[in-house]
Amino acid sequence: MTSTTPHNQDSIVLSLPINPAYVSAARLTASSIANRIGFGIDEIEDVKMAVSEACTFVIRNAPNAEGGLFKIVFTVKNETIEIMIECQQSFPKITPEEELGQALMIIKNFTDELIISYGETFSAKLIKTHKRLEL
Amino acid sequence: MDYKLVSDYSDDLKKWKVTVSGEIDLFSSGDLKKALLALIEKHKADIVIDCSSLDYIDSTALGALVTVLKNVKEYDGEVFIENLKPALARLFKITKLDQAFTLTTKGGESN
Repeated sequence: MTSTTPHNQDSIVLSLPINPAYVSAARLTASSIANRIGFGIDEIEDVKMAVSEACTFVIRNAPNAEGGLFKIVFTVKNETIEIMIECQQSFPKITPEEELGQALMIIKNFTDELIISYGETFSAKLIKTHKRLEL
Repeated sequence: MDYKLVSDYSDDLKKWKVTVSGEIDLFSSGDLKKALLALIEKHKADIVIDCSSLDYIDSTALGALVTVLKNVKEYDGEVFIENLKPALARLFKITKLDQAFTLTTKGGESN
């Protein structure tokens, strides 16, 4: 029998060109997955905002955008969504004072956790957990 | 979803009334900036931006609005942002841009 509900540890992988034209595709995917695992409207908006800002950060910061790709892996863990954004390029470090630092501040505010890793491959891990309303 | 901008200048009020709808991100924020700067080239006036049909705005679009605001401030004008959806109002608050722009709801109250 085919299950119609998301499984724990389900992963959805999106590979996008380093091009602003496709940020909306990432937003749409993020909203759809958050909705599917039962996030509320505000939480869906939060995930959408955070993913979009993270894509913008990658596109604006990637040293070689031409022909390049970056990957977004959405992993569903119970009522948590983990979003790993990876680009196999070495990014310059961004301080909060820089204009791009604002994007990081926005991501932090719209997620529960943000882990940034600079190196040969840049990665940003965003974590957001569904908050149940207390009755 | 792309964004749409409709503008109208009121001779009586000496204000630009602008309606933006859809989603404004890195792809379209440059166009937003150009369109708004073109308006104040025509008439150096306050700008009232109705955002009731605006679904999404990102940090680059906020940056575009800040550039426009700086230009408007040069002639002592104001940029009014009206009817932001709650998530977008939060974005202005997080970035402290609620203090730079005049945010109002339809009745004219501050957000």
